[in-house]
Amino acid sequence: MKTKYLHVHRLRRVYVWELPVRYYHWLNALAIIALIITGFLIASPLALQSREEATMRFTMGWVRVIHFIAAYIFFFNFLFRLYWGFVGNKYASWRQFIPTSKKFIKEMWTVFKIDILMLRGKEHISVGHNAMAGFIYFLTFWAFLVQCLTGFGLYAAMGTWWLPKMFAWVPPVFGGDILTRQIHHWSMWFFILFAVIHVYLVFYHDYIEGRGEISSMGGGWKFIEEEVFQDEEHHTPNKPTN
Amino acid sequence: MSKRIVVDPITRIEGHLRIEADIENGKIKDAYSSGTMVRLLEEILQGRDPRDAWAFVGRVCGVCTSTHSLASVRCVEDALGITVPPNAELVRNIMFCALYMHDHVVHFYHLHAMDWVDVVDALKADPKKTSELAQSISHWPKSSPGYFSDVQTRIKKFVASGQLGIFANGYWGHPAYKLPSEVNLIGLAHYLEALEWQKEIVKVHAIFGGKNPHPNYLVGGMACSIGIDDVSGINAERLALVEQLMKQGKEFIEQVYIPDLMAIASFYKDWGAIGGGIGNYMSYGDLPINGYKDASSYKFPAGAILNKDISKLHEVDLRKDDEVQEFITNSWYEYKGGNAQGLHPWKGETSIKYTGPKPPFANLNTKEKYSYLKTPRWKGNAMEVGPLARVLVGYASGKPEYKEVVDKALKDLNIPVTALFSTLGRTAARGLESVLVAQWGLEFYDKLIANIKNGDTRMADTTKFDPETWPKHAVGVGHAEAPRGALAHWINIDDKKIANYQLVVPTTWNASPRDGKGQLSAYESSLVGTPVANEQQPLEILRTIHSFDPCMACSVH
Amino acid sequence: MFNELDQTKQPTYYEEVERKGYNRRDFLQFVSMMTAFIGLENSAVGQVAKALETKPRVPVIWLHFQECTCCSESFIRSSHPMVADILLDKISLDYTETLMAASGFQAEEAMQNTMKKYKGEYILCVEGSVPMGADGVYCMIGGKTSLQILQEAAENAKAIIAWGSCASNGCVQAAKPNPTKATPIHKLIKGKPIIKVPGCPPIGEVMAGVIVHLVAFDRIPELDALGRPKAFYSKRVHDTCYRRPFYDAGLYVESFDDENAKKGYCLYKVGCKGPTTYNACGVMKWNNGTSFPIQSGHGCIGCSEENYWDNGRLYERASSFAGFGIEANADDFGKVALGVTGAALAGHAVMTNIRKKKLITSLEDEGKQSEHELKS
Ligand code: HEM
Ligand code: HEM
Ligand code: NFV
Ligand code: SF4
Ligand code: SF4
Ligand code: F3S
Ligand SMILES: [Mg+2]
Repeated sequence: MKTKYLHVHRLRRVYVWELPVRYYHWLNALAIIALIITGFLIASPLALQSREEATMRFTMGWVRVIHFIAAYIFFFNFLFRLYWGFVGNKYASWRQFIPTSKKFIKEMWTVFKIDILMLRGKEHISVGHNAMAGFIYFLTFWAFLVQCLTGFGLYAAMGTWWLPKMFAWVPPVFGGDILTRQIHHWSMWFFILFAVIHVYLVFYHDYIEGRGEISSMGGGWKFIEEEVFQDEEHHTPNKPTN
Repeated sequence: MSKRIVVDPITRIEGHLRIEADIENGKIKDAYSSGTMVRLLEEILQGRDPRDAWAFVGRVCGVCTSTHSLASVRCVEDALGITVPPNAELVRNIMFCALYMHDHVVHFYHLHAMDWVDVVDALKADPKKTSELAQSISHWPKSSPGYFSDVQTRIKKFVASGQLGIFANGYWGHPAYKLPSEVNLIGLAHYLEALEWQKEIVKVHAIFGGKNPHPNYLVGGMACSIGIDDVSGINAERLALVEQLMKQGKEFIEQVYIPDLMAIASFYKDWGAIGGGIGNYMSYGDLPINGYKDASSYKFPAGAILNKDISKLHEVDLRKDDEVQEFITNSWYEYKGGNAQGLHPWKGETSIKYTGPKPPFANLNTKEKYSYLKTPRWKGNAMEVGPLARVLVGYASGKPEYKEVVDKALKDLNIPVTALFSTLGRTAARGLESVLVAQWGLEFYDKLIANIKNGDTRMADTTKFDPETWPKHAVGVGHAEAPRGALAHWINIDDKKIANYQLVVPTTWNASPRDGKGQLSAYESSLVGTPVANEQQPLEILRTIHSFDPCMACSVH
Repeated sequence: MFNELDQTKQPTYYEEVERKGYNRRDFLQFVSMMTAFIGLENSAVGQVAKALETKPRVPVIWLHFQECTCCSESFIRSSHPMVADILLDKISLDYTETLMAASGFQAEEAMQNTMKKYKGEYILCVEGSVPMGADGVYCMIGGKTSLQILQEAAENAKAIIAWGSCASNGCVQAAKPNPTKATPIHKLIKGKPIIKVPGCPPIGEVMAGVIVHLVAFDRIPELDALGRPKAFYSKRVHDTCYRRPFYDAGLYVESFDDENAKKGYCLYKVGCKGPTTYNACGVMKWNNGTSFPIQSGHGCIGCSEENYWDNGRLYERASSFAGFGIEANADDFGKVALGVTGAALAGHAVMTNIRKKKLITSLEDEGKQSEHELKS
């Protein structure tokens, strides 16, 4: 009996996602889901019928209100995450997202070969996110930016607050609201596709690695074998400075 | 030897027209008409949604605004086999009448009158005599001596300011001006009054189409739903406004436009022998009262007249391959199958190739291609289209309404029927049909009211609005009698998209360059023989050209 | 800047007479001589003198290029001020092919005179776009290209008004594939104040309003980031639309002339572009407040917005991909991409179970072993 236990790895509990990151993550996920649903409804509203006076109803108004509330949450949450990229732990650092070194790019390629092309090879172990995931998040941040710029650009004409007004310059860059709104609409698809792939990959990693990937965004912990640390087998996209 | 003179820009028209004329012994020996602006909308339309076409082609012209949209929706409806509800047809007819009333009055006063009315001479008129004269020809209430003297003082002050604005550099004092000062003053006063009036009648378009210029049309009917028990949509208030506008419009035409036209014409009867041109006339017919498909019900009958022979009306078929064709022998285009052929619009091509002189230039090379207009022909014949053609076709068709107005005008002016084939005839015909159209507009209005009263409030048939319901291939042709004449659009639809869209436009018929056989089109032909008293001030050229009411944006599109 | 447009540069007749050493009596004498000459009663002398003493009307040159002349047509439909009053009292419209009496070289001469006499003082209005294809031959007037004429007239203009969508964004002739390379004015003329007054056409009272603004306040109206006067283009049609309560309530016209259309529901789903269009239609309406497109049952087609001919079809809400044919819209692409992604992920999942079988079974074995060996 005792001997068998020896086959089992000793797992080390690593605090990967700090509480603010987890809050950020779920707020972000919820906001995006709300924005996609309401965005779809704004783009093509349902065929509702009612005997009520129009002034008694505010169905579409609420859809827009939710879109805009979610938009503000999304925006500030995003800003917060940018900030946390500088003060958070090493797994949250901005360095993990931006391919600034050859090593980062080489590692992306390695992950791609193993996870996507499924070439055989040595298991690639990352404690935080892997290089490819990091880079994809980097791209999503750009999409966040596009969506915030076009969204607040469109909103600027309706709002009175200075914050959205600061984006009033955006539509003129595209010659007006028409194209701005279309870009806003098109880039929604990036979010949808990302979410689907992302969730799949999270499940995938949890499934084939068994290190608590899914729960890590809940409790913050991942569970990595002790040997991995002893043998220095884990990777990180960019060497953290701290 | 003849001398070449150039008038470019011809002003007080729509768009960019250049006339070059060879003058010999005080008369025009040969003339060249050139359209010098092109936008290539036929090319732009390719691959687009046929339901959107009306908006694109509507922008062919803001002067005859809405006619192209009308021709376009008819053309697409023809291709897709859509019949619009009677109300939609009536609304389209009412809008059509309002357009005529606006366009013809504006043409007469603001684009044509200064060829006949000497504005500066009007300052010499005696307001009292002017008032007496005005009251002798019309009941129009605004004709007191004070009214005319106010107008005169205003213009005198204007002239005294030294800034003559739109009146600067006119041919004032030219010997061809023949009106007494008092008639000139009436003309000037009504120039200003018509400017004020014209903005009213177009409100009819705003009511049904949302705005003017460029009201909205819709494939399958009209977008302005009838909702007599709702505050939105066409209800009693909206309809009452339409009726009032149409009535006021009619009043102005009958009491101002026509009396002025007749008074002025009576001093220029010699122009009943000048500017006749080719003598072939054509109308596609319009203003259906029993559905667009029933051509026999049209208020404007269809037909062609050859060689001024009004005893015989020829049938026109827009679908036949060998009737309407466009040539480009003298136009800056190329045809794939060679430049000598004529193409029926369903097979039409619009492929630009400028070969004229490099600007800036003094003269066109009129021995070669010299215009952006194609040259349309009907069974090989050059045809004149427009008010005169319509009135002649109506007259030839024997419809009593036409006989009545035409015979009365001829009698009042004491001129023979043959005087109609002229510059004067063209200008007179425009006035005569305005009278008819103003009457008909109210008839259509009454019918619309009757329909609604009977419970028919349909305004659009949208069963074939969804492209999924369309056949894979379809062709259609839609015609309309635009203010300037016979207009038609031809469409080929492939896979729900426009594969080819061709417009053959009234001013294209009239202002086109000569064809390969050397046959002159209407402008050129009617200029030949026109006297020109002063080559520096070719007022006579303007008179004849303006009598056609050129629209160059239309003609080239 | 424009603020300097005042009497100082261009002397009135009186000032000119004064400068030449005559006094006011001489001036009045001159006036009565002139009134007599043009046949005015004596009582009008005072009025004429006043007209000559006051400042000259602002000279305006109005050019016509690739256009349909609906801008001029819209202009003459202005109800306040009426166009006769503008022409006689407010400006001196010294050149416009649509209305001017002179033709041919006399017309050209009228333009030249104004350009010389009022150098730096005249307003240049442009209706229509300028074709840049084939060296400009697609629009020629008097043997010159529109570009040549524009450059010459713009050189000494005080300010430029770009009328309508043609002059401000190229309008219909600039729609794909823009075969004549129709180009708006601001892309051709630099270093001059340009006021864009887009719309196809702009509302007549808006056009007159811009002119009145220039004349009455002696300054350029405040412009937005796209160069349009804020006085008329600062709000979306959607935000001033009287059907907005129906939009907010989620009540829409589903197809033309349906029950909802008769009730005046919102036209969003039949293609209304009001939510992306800046114009005064909802507030000022058209033709002296008679109606505007939406009030007459048709959606806004976005006629005052750049590129509105190519940014989506008239009756579709879905944003189409310009250049991918009319069927293709973003959502169709998105749905296809989603389908492909789903399939790819399913494939990936299957492959994972096949190719990583060893890895997975060893994980499973490990787990089972633990389950087996643990007491509770
Ligand atoms: C994940 C992020 C977002 C998604 C997926 C999204 C999606 C959408 C979609 C699909 C539309 C409809 C576009 C159409 O009609 O074709 C829309 C409209 C709009 N969105 Fe977003 N959006 C997002 C973020 C934002 C943000 C951050 C703002 C900032 C205020 C914003 C403001 C707007 C506005 C103003 C509209 C136009 C609504 C109207 O005019 O009624 N959106 N959005
Ligand atoms: C709309 C839905 C979602 C979005 C937009 C989203 C977005 C993100 C982003 C931006 C990160 C990077 C976090 C950072 O380091 O700053 C991330 C990481 C993560 N997300 Fe999500 N997420 C979504 C849904 C989910 C769901 C449903 C799960 C789990 C069931 C999940 C699990 C994770 C995990 C485990 C990580 C860290 C893994 C790694 O970095 O490789 N996410 N997610
Ligand atoms: N020619 C012409 Fe038109 C007319 N009438 C249209 O079809 O003017 Ni613009
Ligand atoms: S902007 Fe539109 S309305 Fe004005 S001239 Fe151009 S096409 Fe006509
Ligand atoms: S009709 Fe058009 S502008 Fe008016 S509320 Fe609806 S979408 Fe907005
Ligand atoms: S189409 Fe144009 S006229 Fe106004 S309502 Fe839309 S901007
Ligand atoms: Mg054509």
